[in-house]
Amino acid sequence: MNKKKKIGGLRRLFEISIVIIIGCICAITRSAAAAAAKDDQFLLLLGVSPQDEDYYKGLLSSPSSTIKCKDGSFKFSTSQLNDDFCDCPDASDEPGTSACPNGKFYCKNAGHIPFSLYSSRVNDGICDCCDGSDEYDGKVKCPNTCWEAGKVARERLKMKIATYQQGVTVRNRLVEQAKLAIAKEEAELSKLKNEEKILKGLVEQLQERKEQIEKAEEKERLQKEKEDKERKETEEANLKEKQNGEQVESSEADALKNDIHDKIGEQVESSEADALKNDMHDKIGLLGDSSSSQDVMEGHGDSESEAQHGEFDVKEESSIGDVKPLQEDSLLHATEKEEQLTVDGQPGLDTGNQAEVEEDNSESLSKEELGRLVASRWTGEKTEPQTQEVSSAKDKNHGTEEEDAYGEEYSGYDSEEDEHRYDNNDDGDNEDQMDDFGGEDHDDSSPSYKSESDDEPDLPAEPSWLEKIQKSVRRIFQAVTFFQTPVDKSEAARVRKEYDESSAKLSKLQSRISSLTHKLKHDFGREKEFYSFYGQCFENKQNKYVYKICPFKQASQVEGHSTTRLGSWEKFEDSYKVMQFLNGDKCWNGPDRSMKASILLVKLRCGLNNEVTDVDEPSRCEYLALLSTPAVCVEEKLKELQDKLDMMNKEQPTSHDEL
Amino acid sequence: MKESPNLIFHVLFLLLLISPSVFSWKKDEFRNCNQTPFCKRARSRKPGACNLIATEVSISDDGDLIAKLITKIPENNGSQDPPVEVDSQPLLLTISVYQDGILRLKIDEDQSLNPPKKRFEEKIDNDLGFSSVVYLDGDYEGVLRHDPFEVFVRERGNGKRVLSINSNGLFDFEQLREKKEGDDWEERFRSHTDTRPYGPQSISFDVSFFGADIVSGIPEHATSLALKPTSGPGVEDGFSEPYRLFNLDVFEYLHESPFGLYGSIPFMFSHGKARGSSGFFWLNAAEMQIDVFGTGWNAGQDKIMMPVDEKRIDTLWMSEAGVVDAFFFVGPGPKDVVRQYTSVTGRPAMPQLFATAYHQCRWNYRDEEDVFGVDSKFDEHDIPYDVLWLDIEHTDGKRYFTWDKVLFPNPEEMQNKLAAKGRHMVTIVDPHIKRDDNYYIHKEASDNGYYVKDASNRDFDGWCWPGSSSYVDVVNPDIRSWWADKFSYGNYVGSTPYLYIWNDMNEPSVFNGPEVTMPRDALHFGGTEHRELHNAYGYYFHMATSNGLVKRENGKDRPFVLSRAFFPGTQRYGAVWTGDNTAEWDHLRVSVPMLLTLGLTGISFSGADVGGFFGNPEPDLLVRWYQLGAYYPFFRAHAHQDTKRREPWLFGERNTQLIREAIHTRYMFLPYFYTLFREANVTGTPVIRPLWMEFPADEETFSNDEAFMVGNGLLVQGVYTERAKHVSVYLPGDQSWYDLRNGATYKGGKRHKFEALEDSVPAFQRAGTIIPRKDRFRRSSTQMDKDPYTLVIALNSSKEAEGELYIDDGKSFNFENGAYIHRHFKFSNGKLTSSNAAPSGAGGNKFSTDCTVERIILLGLSPAPKSAFIEPSNQKVGIEMGPLTIRPGKNPSFATIRKPNVRIADNWTIKIL
Repeated sequence: MNKKKKIGGLRRLFEISIVIIIGCICAITRSAAAAAAKDDQFLLLLGVSPQDEDYYKGLLSSPSSTIKCKDGSFKFSTSQLNDDFCDCPDASDEPGTSACPNGKFYCKNAGHIPFSLYSSRVNDGICDCCDGSDEYDGKVKCPNTCWEAGKVARERLKMKIATYQQGVTVRNRLVEQAKLAIAKEEAELSKLKNEEKILKGLVEQLQERKEQIEKAEEKERLQKEKEDKERKETEEANLKEKQNGEQVESSEADALKNDIHDKIGEQVESSEADALKNDMHDKIGLLGDSSSSQDVMEGHGDSESEAQHGEFDVKEESSIGDVKPLQEDSLLHATEKEEQLTVDGQPGLDTGNQAEVEEDNSESLSKEELGRLVASRWTGEKTEPQTQEVSSAKDKNHGTEEEDAYGEEYSGYDSEEDEHRYDNNDDGDNEDQMDDFGGEDHDDSSPSYKSESDDEPDLPAEPSWLEKIQKSVRRIFQAVTFFQTPVDKSEAARVRKEYDESSAKLSKLQSRISSLTHKLKHDFGREKEFYSFYGQCFENKQNKYVYKICPFKQASQVEGHSTTRLGSWEKFEDSYKVMQFLNGDKCWNGPDRSMKASILLVKLRCGLNNEVTDVDEPSRCEYLALLSTPAVCVEEKLKELQDKLDMMNKEQPTSHDEL
Repeated sequence: MKESPNLIFHVLFLLLLISPSVFSWKKDEFRNCNQTPFCKRARSRKPGACNLIATEVSISDDGDLIAKLITKIPENNGSQDPPVEVDSQPLLLTISVYQDGILRLKIDEDQSLNPPKKRFEEKIDNDLGFSSVVYLDGDYEGVLRHDPFEVFVRERGNGKRVLSINSNGLFDFEQLREKKEGDDWEERFRSHTDTRPYGPQSISFDVSFFGADIVSGIPEHATSLALKPTSGPGVEDGFSEPYRLFNLDVFEYLHESPFGLYGSIPFMFSHGKARGSSGFFWLNAAEMQIDVFGTGWNAGQDKIMMPVDEKRIDTLWMSEAGVVDAFFFVGPGPKDVVRQYTSVTGRPAMPQLFATAYHQCRWNYRDEEDVFGVDSKFDEHDIPYDVLWLDIEHTDGKRYFTWDKVLFPNPEEMQNKLAAKGRHMVTIVDPHIKRDDNYYIHKEASDNGYYVKDASNRDFDGWCWPGSSSYVDVVNPDIRSWWADKFSYGNYVGSTPYLYIWNDMNEPSVFNGPEVTMPRDALHFGGTEHRELHNAYGYYFHMATSNGLVKRENGKDRPFVLSRAFFPGTQRYGAVWTGDNTAEWDHLRVSVPMLLTLGLTGISFSGADVGGFFGNPEPDLLVRWYQLGAYYPFFRAHAHQDTKRREPWLFGERNTQLIREAIHTRYMFLPYFYTLFREANVTGTPVIRPLWMEFPADEETFSNDEAFMVGNGLLVQGVYTERAKHVSVYLPGDQSWYDLRNGATYKGGKRHKFEALEDSVPAFQRAGTIIPRKDRFRRSSTQMDKDPYTLVIALNSSKEAEGELYIDDGKSFNFENGAYIHRHFKFSNGKLTSSNAAPSGAGGNKFSTDCTVERIILLGLSPAPKSAFIEPSNQKVGIEMGPLTIRPGKNPSFATIRKPNVRIADNWTIKIL
């Protein structure tokens, strides 16, 4: 540090202070000496933050007074304070210079936000503080831009506060709604569990009855066989009699059954519809595809046409003309083989023949293929446009690209994938039932099975459908004579049908219970503020990619017809400021050959709408998204912002003299 | 970015998970000696096979010794053997001797006899040290023995040999001949065919180093500093192949192997306790293979007439083409050999100051936002850095000199924004040009015929990053000049004076070429085959680029160009790095011998990718790498695009702190490093040195390549194992050493065991040295310009020490005209003196600085005196106790002269009272 220049710099500060002092204090007519004394202090305490002023107080009385460094390691005197030489390892003797490497310089930034700079910024020729106080050695002139910059910052802050104010209201409403809805669902769940218990009992009774009938039938059959020959003559007459009797009974039973069917059917199925939808969502989501089954269907047609495009593209791109998918296969195998050879280290021995064949394959690559193959080692990218074409072609047979990617390598995966998909359907319901939902009218009077967003109060006053079933089953039992041999066939059929239907209802009921239980197990936030996220997806389009973020489920990146799963819902993190999706599709993680799963972190910002504002991939397969949502507009933060604004408004530049 | 992961590859590579990564090097893709006919032939020859004799010896007008080598016809001693058919022509031999102990031997075909082709001769366009030619020099003499032909250098007085060629009679020169009916000259390797239109033309010979305990040099190999034998007894596993010199883009190279990497310098360094150092350099750009023979390799070969009592190391040099143009450097000190070698191939260029600071790189900083984000994070964490790098993805479709318009819409604004904080940027420019008619570089190059041609004389078309590409024929000076013009601000749109260049892939890398490079029968300027100059291609490209940067500022701004490929002379054009290493401890370990070897062979400005290019380093490894990398001459962190982000602040607060500390250490020592770069620039002595370069007589150091010297004053030892508890460090010499962490002293000539502290790698200042530092933290080296100095005086047992400081404007070429400050500091008799070390009256151009000395730390002075007296200002200043480096917490303290505030440029003395 050049002494002369420093003095010059200090003089400049001195002048600034004088101007300010004169501007503000002249009226009070203080003496010039007092002003000078004040200025000395000002210089001594250069870079000191208001909280620290007390610490330095002891030094201001006389030049020979000393205090300890904050860390207690050494002592320093007034003359060592800000003398541009580092005496305290913790920088406490040099708050206003760059002499200590670990120091902080406080810029007051009147009119804007005060700020503590690293001492490395002091007199480095770059204006860091908007009041220019960090550059005082005269090498650069830093204009005071605090008021201007502060104005901008205040405006921004005001807008942010406005957003928060509205956001807090929206959030409170969300919290209210969530509480109600959850209470409702919990009530529903317990009610369902009750009903499940009863229905289970009924089903068991029916089953018992059914088995009795079957036993009787078996017995009858045996008896019949035995008596067959003896009763041949009288058979016809008897039969006629019986049929007459049955007809009466069966028409009665039918009416009953219809009643049951209607009630159970409508109500259970309508609730099932929701459960199923959710379920479907899960399952299809797991497949990495979009949320509706229709999309899956569409995928077939479109990828077919894409496949054709693909083929066309290849022909255009490839300099060698007609490379066939098969060759691509052999190319891949060749790479693989080469790798293995390297592992073996002795390509010449046992595996020699085979190796040579594979080697030849790799050597028979066109120049372009070889180039791409070698390039791919560094990039980890697919070597050939053909690869894509193969994928697309396979789309004809399968729903999503992931599937054929697996299928590509192991044909065994095909069937597995298919099975998997059927399983999903079985888990939820069969396809016929799916179709039924569309046409069916929902019975609004049975609100316990209504969709989550419904606000109507719970539990009907009138006898429930379950009571009706119970009644009708009871009636069946009463109307039917037990152990009557020969078994009344229509009676048997009715029991069977009743059993089948009731147990179907039961399983639907159970599935609804499990889906509700599943839902309610989720962590919806401290105040359940994220409840409304359930079942929702947020989308964002960036160039050719569409990002789809479905909280509590999964997130994906869609490019045309290819979907990459970025991750499955894991949890909230960082006190509900981040959503974490883990274990997405595997990524080719560069040359160390390790496969790693994609992950996505969604940072949450306060905003009035649920909106994905940005998606980025800072490292390969590690995605970062920004979601603005009222769910995180918390009151405390609003207060914090308001305090900050208050402070900024208070710090007018005119108050500068009050150091 | 945002590539949807391709599952086909996923599945495929899942299968490959079984292969451990160390085997990922594609061994089969590269030729071994047996698959390389010239190497196989040469290696199978028996000692004494050479039957050439020197005749018609005379002295030329230039004072050279010239002779003809002819085949000796064996006397017919009555045997039944038919007389040997002599179909070879006499070869021309020339021996010239230059000042400073350099003997040059040339052997070529006699052009007056009209050989089928003029063999390619790599030129040395360097006029250093070629002014006076004398036949005998100093204490040495060159001897040409006639029969059998042998050339050697010996000490004049006692006749002790230093270096020799053909002492084992392995010399062989395949003369060019006309192709005869039935000759099959083609060579096939994998799917590639080399037409080899000129047939065999290889040269091989043996070189012996006398009094040698070790040989070193011949980079680039990822192996130990002292070269292991590759032939004869005692050959280790994996070292049965000769050391290969053939510039190759090797994917995932191994950390211990003699296979060739990105650059080649056929210069071998020998060192021994008995005599010192010597060097042998073969100027030849064709593929070379070099065997180092284990002792006793030729047992029983009584044909050889060699002094048996002398310790020596024999080597075999084999080249596919070219001529013999060999240099013998007599030493005798290690620094003498480097000086002699760099007087032939050129001294290392003086880098700009910023280039010696820390560089931040990644494949790839994606867009401007990313660049600004990384830049501001460095500031946020108070970590200095000087240069931010952009890899291939910044271009528009891998067309160099262009920008991706979406990702980098405002490149100039971006560079200016960083430059406002004193920072620079580097973009990549590779030699492969995308074959796209709408790309102006391609259009000009193809229209003007500026591309390398294939064997059928069409533009060579190979595959690289952009896909189908051609390669600029930088061997032609006119094309180099055209290329250089591409760097003007007008041509390179979006470039600014703050932008510098990175040359990658210049081996050249050709993804679909034989061994991932250009076919040997490709044709260059003047009909020269690629085989003849392969190893020099990258060097010429580097040269052209570097010249381009000089041109764009009309010779006022020192260029900065990093190159991956290199050749003798590369040191004149910029820095190199060790290519695509891996985030493994072994690669951290091998970086040290690799950089030391480069330093020995003239390339002082070198580094390895901190953190490892491939893979994800554990935080422990990354931190250790930063701590060691802070002492690499070229200090850059780099990472593959598939790796996790690893900027210094991403591994938790503690690791951020450790990395910050490591980088700050480098910045603190920048004045010392810059002084060392100047020393290299003047004498060739590398910035980082094997211990034996400073302690040539200490045998303990000969095989030590895990520690190294930075200049003559610092010894640095890496920590190469995970969660190491202890580090063993050998401290050479008879003086003691001061621990940089706490100033503790340790005896020299001993191995010490230290606790492996996490906050730094062990580093020591040698007693008897004075090291200049700048202790203030700044954002980049640019802002340190006016900061005051700290001098650390480490006293030896006689309470003396000395050191130097070199300062210039850090940027321009004015230093070449004397615009610099060179101080010499000496402490003795309780007095520190600063005197001018620059030659007096060096040019009219002056450089001045107002920088002062703020602190002088005295190590080894007790009891601490109270004050000091400064002359000529006649001021008294206080001496207090202060820490060795300012770090929070209680640290041992040492006598510190507080604020002497003497100007660094002035003469002064400070007397301890």
